[in-house]
Amino acid sequence: MKKPSIIWIQGVSCNGNAHSFFNHPELFEILSNFELLYHPLLETNYTLEDIAKCELECDILIVEGAYKDTLVKYGMDIAQTIQHYATKASKIIATGTCASYGGMFALYDEALSGFCYKKELPNENYSRYKDKFIMLPGCPIHPKWLSFVLLMIKDKKPIVLDEMHRPQELYGFTVHTGCSRNEYFEWKIDMEGFGKKEGCLFYEHGCQAPYTRGSCNKILWHDVSSKTIAGTPCFGCTEPTFPKTNLFETKTNMGIPANMPLGVPKRAYLTLTGIAKSFKIKRLEKRVIDYEDREIDRKD
Amino acid sequence: MAKLDKKALKKESIIQTALQLFSLNGFHKTTIPDIANSLNMSVGNLYNYFKSKDILAKEIIKYTSTVLGDEIKTINMQDISSKDKIKAIVTIYFRMAKERPEMIEYFLRVYLSHREVFSDGCEGMTCVSGFITEIMIFFDDGVSKGELRDQDFFSAFGLFMGYLGGMVFLKGEEILPNDIDYYIDDISFNIYNALKA
Amino acid sequence: MKIEKLIEKIEGEAKLYLDFEQDRVSDATIEFELFRGIEHILKNKPFLDSLVITPRVCGICNHAHLIASVRAIEDGLRSSGVDIELSSKANLIREFTLSCELIQNHIKWLYLTIFPKVNEILGLSSVDNYALRASYVSATITKAMALFAGQWPHSSYVVTGGVSCDPTYVEVLQAQTYIDEVIRFVEEILLGISIDKYLSFGSISSLNELGGDMGELFDAIGSSYLAHSGKGHDRFIVFGDCLCFKTGKSVPTQVRKIDPKYVEEFTQTDSNSKAVTYKQRQYEVGPLARGMISKDPLIKSLHKRYKDSIFSRIYARIHEVLILLSYTKRILKELDLSEPSCSINKLDTKHISFDGIGVVEAARGSLIHKSRVEDGKIKEYEIIVPTQWNLSNGLDGEKGIAVKSMIGCSSSKEAELVFRSFDVCSACAIH
Repeated sequence: MKKPSIIWIQGVSCNGNAHSFFNHPELFEILSNFELLYHPLLETNYTLEDIAKCELECDILIVEGAYKDTLVKYGMDIAQTIQHYATKASKIIATGTCASYGGMFALYDEALSGFCYKKELPNENYSRYKDKFIMLPGCPIHPKWLSFVLLMIKDKKPIVLDEMHRPQELYGFTVHTGCSRNEYFEWKIDMEGFGKKEGCLFYEHGCQAPYTRGSCNKILWHDVSSKTIAGTPCFGCTEPTFPKTNLFETKTNMGIPANMPLGVPKRAYLTLTGIAKSFKIKRLEKRVIDYEDREIDRKD
Repeated sequence: MAKLDKKALKKESIIQTALQLFSLNGFHKTTIPDIANSLNMSVGNLYNYFKSKDILAKEIIKYTSTVLGDEIKTINMQDISSKDKIKAIVTIYFRMAKERPEMIEYFLRVYLSHREVFSDGCEGMTCVSGFITEIMIFFDDGVSKGELRDQDFFSAFGLFMGYLGGMVFLKGEEILPNDIDYYIDDISFNIYNALKA
Repeated sequence: MKIEKLIEKIEGEAKLYLDFEQDRVSDATIEFELFRGIEHILKNKPFLDSLVITPRVCGICNHAHLIASVRAIEDGLRSSGVDIELSSKANLIREFTLSCELIQNHIKWLYLTIFPKVNEILGLSSVDNYALRASYVSATITKAMALFAGQWPHSSYVVTGGVSCDPTYVEVLQAQTYIDEVIRFVEEILLGISIDKYLSFGSISSLNELGGDMGELFDAIGSSYLAHSGKGHDRFIVFGDCLCFKTGKSVPTQVRKIDPKYVEEFTQTDSNSKAVTYKQRQYEVGPLARGMISKDPLIKSLHKRYKDSIFSRIYARIHEVLILLSYTKRILKELDLSEPSCSINKLDTKHISFDGIGVVEAARGSLIHKSRVEDGKIKEYEIIVPTQWNLSNGLDGEKGIAVKSMIGCSSSKEAELVFRSFDVCSACAIH
């Protein structure tokens, strides 16, 4: 059986998704199922100039970076190259937030957008390619999100997609799912300042995890951690609104968070929070471990 | 179904009777037998609905909170400006004070003044959440629409509720020379000016 | 004769224009296309947002941008009277994660770029799993990094006054295990000897004891015409006070102090990337520069024989991997978890104005961020990347560093290798 061929091509990109995927612990096992015609880091039999000649067969097109119809690089019509392979391929995977919605660089160049979406609105490419289009937003993506899609394609399994063509098995959760600080969220215990494993980042530090689609705390980054575990608020990088402004501060209206956890009505949230706030849970008010307490060293 | 409704109705009538008696004779002087007598119930039967006077006290505050909260929810859901909502809230609060004075009185004279009764089981905002949530919704809406100034919640809440509570207290002491409705416009105007963006 | 070459897989692409006279390169022009406007995007943003935006300049050295950005903020706040003192723990954690980023960068460059290209030029047979070696080291060291930073690329765990993570010994021990694993791999595959033995080398005469991939590479380069290829202006500069590096300039071996205020940028007509000078002269940045300015005995010995040829340049980058690996091991031993992670509890982000400069050593050389903030918003932001130092075309009659290094090459393949010996980052160049 002939292996499906992959072309990984970039629009306006920082290369972050390529590097993220490169760190997949089973990278070569995954790639052994495919014929990699072009990749921004790995050695391939074809150069970018070869690809731009538009002569190759391509089963899976991976697009990284923001797109516009006038995108030309070093004399190569990249936009046309992408369109050519998009027509030929049986699957198109927009990899990363830039290729999904436009992302960071669209803030400077308004002509830039995602391949099939400009922020949350579908564009012309969407009507052309919607039947074979899969979107993997994330800045960058988690390597296992891409490997999941590739292996599903290889096994010819249909991927359940949401209304924006994102795999439901990855984006049907919120980044909040599985965060190590969930108890502090439940009992409305803020983190004071920065740099503690105790405390929730949602109320004051700008964490967008409760309303950001993704699985960062379910499929850990590098199998060991995540932003919120490391005390950094989620910046909502899988959503069309990325990046918002004032990313380290929670927008409030008279102290009430402006954004609710996904699907939770404000009334429900406020009622529950009001009750949670009325109680002081001693265990959660204390540090889990205090290295300054020398008693820990002195064992009886 | 019918059984549940009967029980709920009975509970409500106990609460309303209790409210009347607390208002008439004071919280401490009113006993469970007093309330039972008033309803032609046996004391034992009343205890089936509310296991103690303290539990009844807590249920009453939840009840009054829900009643007021539901009224404010209706106002919140209307497509009108924050300025108009303020007037509507003041109006409904004062109407309650006129038509069901025992309810507002209970809040001011029993809930606020007998913290020891409510400390276990009504921690913080637990028992008044029906009401507080609606005030929060009102503020959140107003700020997100740019009609109200973004400020600390308690500063705004204290101003709004303290003001209304104070007026009802004065009415209760029969100090106000005019009917409380007379003050709706001025008070709404003052509150709006203090809170507007 | 003119040759036009598209160089790819350098965190993007670049175009190389080579002039040949009598079969040797007589001149070269480097062109970077596209422009992403990060400095424009930062305008009017609240200043803390730079911690999220600046890493997006680059997918491989985003961590360096993060650290430069926070240093610019801390520098600015200090000069406007805010007292900021990092705990030793916070500082060491920042050093640890930065070291990890440099290590994965150099290893990728070595195995994905240098080995295949050198083998191609010298007609040697290639092992077929270079990429696998790179991927293994990169994935493992990034795990160690993620235990503190949360993720890579694009973490923002470095915050004003410290770091956002709060590790326990569970994380520290796990990090130690990953570092030990990388060291084990490096000893077996890259060096052929123990890392301690390697770090005891005082001069290049010991290099014949090297085994592994590194031994093979330097045997191959050292015994070929490439050993003396790619010599440039032979002057070096290091601005970033961090890791085990010293700041200063070295011309060629005389080391002097420097002041970042003498750094100037110039627009180039033939490239989207700006040129940059120190007191109107151009300097090489990167591992070779760092080795020269910290007077590393092995680098000095190397430079004595090979000057700033690709032999020295390539060697210095790999040498840095070993120094940094040893450094990361020391950091984890020294880490005192009883210190606070972040020494600032509340920061006024709205009513503050400052001018700050943040400098760090990124994988490819000195990285400078300058931030002007008024009432909490960024009024102006300037980023100067290492690739600008090494890869501009020249100024006032003086050829650029890499351009000079390519002059004299006997083929476009050789010129390309010289070009790549600088470890080019196209993404950074076109920020």
